[in-house]
Amino acid sequence: MSTHSRSQRALGIAVALALAVTVSACGGRDAGRSGDAAEGAPSPGITDTTVTLGITTPLSGPTAGPGTCTVAGVTAYFGAKNAAGGVGFGDGKTRTVEIQALDDTYDPQQAAANYDQLKGEVFAMTAGLGTPTNRAWREAAIADEVPQVLIMTGDPLFSDTQQSPWQLGFVPIYQNEGAAFGELLASSGAAHRVAILSQNDDFGAGYVEGFKSAIEGAGNIEVVGELTYEATDTSVDAQITDLANSGADVFFNAMSVTPLVIAALQKAQQLGWTPSWFLPSNTSSPTAILEPGGAAAFPGIYSVSFAKAPQSPAFAQDPDVVEYLAALKQYGNYPDPPAFPHCHWSWMIGATLEQAFQNMKEPTRDSFMEALRAIKDFQAPLMLPDTAVTTSESGQPAVSTVVVQKYNGRGYDTVEAFE
Amino acid sequence: MTRPTATPASSFSALRQRPWVRWAVPLLLVVVLAVLPLVLTEAANDTLARIGVFAVAVLGLNVVMGYTGQISLGQIFFLGLGAYVTAYGVTNDWNIVLVFVLTCLIPAVAGLLVALAAARLGGLAIAMVTIALPIVGVPLAKRLSEFTGGSQGVSARFTDAPEGSGLYDDQWQLYLVLVIGGIVFVLTRFLVRGKYGRAFAIVKGNENVASSMGISPYRYKVLAFTIASLIGGVSGFLYMVVVQYTSPETMSFGHSIELLVAMVIGGAGSIAGSLLGGAFYVVVPNLTNAVDPSLTALLQGALLLVVLFVLPGGLVSLPRAVMRGLRRSPAGRGHAAPPTTPSPTTGSGPAAEEPDTERLGRA
Repeated sequence: MSTHSRSQRALGIAVALALAVTVSACGGRDAGRSGDAAEGAPSPGITDTTVTLGITTPLSGPTAGPGTCTVAGVTAYFGAKNAAGGVGFGDGKTRTVEIQALDDTYDPQQAAANYDQLKGEVFAMTAGLGTPTNRAWREAAIADEVPQVLIMTGDPLFSDTQQSPWQLGFVPIYQNEGAAFGELLASSGAAHRVAILSQNDDFGAGYVEGFKSAIEGAGNIEVVGELTYEATDTSVDAQITDLANSGADVFFNAMSVTPLVIAALQKAQQLGWTPSWFLPSNTSSPTAILEPGGAAAFPGIYSVSFAKAPQSPAFAQDPDVVEYLAALKQYGNYPDPPAFPHCHWSWMIGATLEQAFQNMKEPTRDSFMEALRAIKDFQAPLMLPDTAVTTSESGQPAVSTVVVQKYNGRGYDTVEAFE
Repeated sequence: MTRPTATPASSFSALRQRPWVRWAVPLLLVVVLAVLPLVLTEAANDTLARIGVFAVAVLGLNVVMGYTGQISLGQIFFLGLGAYVTAYGVTNDWNIVLVFVLTCLIPAVAGLLVALAAARLGGLAIAMVTIALPIVGVPLAKRLSEFTGGSQGVSARFTDAPEGSGLYDDQWQLYLVLVIGGIVFVLTRFLVRGKYGRAFAIVKGNENVASSMGISPYRYKVLAFTIASLIGGVSGFLYMVVVQYTSPETMSFGHSIELLVAMVIGGAGSIAGSLLGGAFYVVVPNLTNAVDPSLTALLQGALLLVVLFVLPGGLVSLPRAVMRGLRRSPAGRGHAAPPTTPSPTTGSGPAAEEPDTERLGRA
């Protein structure tokens, strides 16, 4: 009775298989599985003239802005190097660096699929944005012995050499940022009452952990109020009102949601509460957050940074910034000055990778990891004074030093002491 | 029903009704599926396994939407729930069979509880209630961090190929997906072709008619929703088999809509359509990535529109559309006057050949 549907089904399955096989045939040329390469033989993705790097990052969806930047910066960096002849490697050869980027829409499943597609063709995975999207294939990368390095997540797991032998984070972990501000506050000598508001997840907890460890034992700092909110909350008015009543003169606000930060700044002004603020580096943009929030009303807005802000007038003539913006336009397919710091972080990743390439003795992933983990006090382009790339410390990402900065009405200035 | 013997199409279908052909086709399929993982590349195996995962999820959605006609926008929640149950069980070293049973039971019970309330409301209210599931699920998964690992998610590697099997991990995972997914597909096929399937179809067609026939629409809606949730839970287990990691993003609302799109594109109310829907869900992002990674969203939207304009019945209607085209064109040129002959096959058109359950299911 159901002959028609049976033939349909068989046909349908045939079509599905044909589709799948075609796609994967485009993706994976070698039928060999990982792990069957001979000792010392070149790893996949590297020849005598080229090396290919893979990136999986959100290029569409809500996080597409920063995600696009993570590709643009490193593409621009190596685009300029390739145009100048290529990068000199430690084994004496000069190679051009190709980038293969895929969109994961911030979906962990798609990120893992992208990794599966890229792992046979690329030498190393790098620069991808996002904690869940990087965690999704972390264990697979360890099993396959594929480097997953200089990625953009503040999750400390990726910088733990024991648990993550093939990984290394690039940007400071959340604890680094909180601790930098805590140290500045503790060293001010004056008595301060601190109110803390943090996002109820690993992000917020990381900042608070870093801050508290830095003020531990400092007699002049007292935490007078501590509240949390959910990342999905649409308002933190209740928490701000509550904390305003604590009479704190310093407000440590570990918040990652842009509209909430603006609303919090406005709410505090309505209540007539004007403490000094601390904000995380990714929610402290002068144009996108502080100006709409009316931050000039507060005695000081502090944040942390390790990079020169290319859009800041103070660095407009800086040779690093000029070179970076020109290359981004010419090679990074990014014509306008970027609004996200991820673009110049990605540029610095390019410079850090070049350091590792210059020191790797063999064209293998092992040799690359060894060289990458041996970088000490490397002043990457666009880095601020007193910050550096150091990869040899376990438990720390490539950049773990940050300087505290204070909002000056237009941009940020590095400060030595809390005023 | 009289069967004309003259036309080639009918003799072809008569061949297909021979008993040995009936058995040979599925048997051949099983043999091909058993050999396939051994000969394909690692990348192809990974892709096929992912297709299997989402084909099962789409199949579950088809039970409640395609066959029973109730709008559900929360299928991804049950996939996510199944994935979390699996991850929790595996990280606590529970027996894997127990984990699998729980992965079926817990989402099914959750689905049952939701359906008991939602099915009473009927119509669009079910859609509204099911929208709430992923919307509640994401913050819930973030907050219950002792079970879910919070927003950092939780990974569980438990599907490395067993020692001594001689298989690579990707082959072993694909076999797991083929066996578990295959069983779910076969069982669901029997379900929707049998007594329950007919009841679902009547509930979908007209609830008053169903009531007058002694079929309680409420009971069958709850049943369909519960089965869909159970199948969603199984797809969550398979998700962990293949992806080995889950986080709150897994069950974000956008993915629920993508599953719905995959079901419609594949073909609503069709077993083969579920498979095609799963393939669409997995293959299209890879395809658009290969074309231009910075335009994926745009390309996917364009492709969706093209498929729906060209094949409103979904990809599963492609063979029928092609057959219809083939049957028509030689008839117009070759034979002089087939339209005047009152032959049962040409006269009643392809719709008459459709089996009853299929037509009801799509009505």
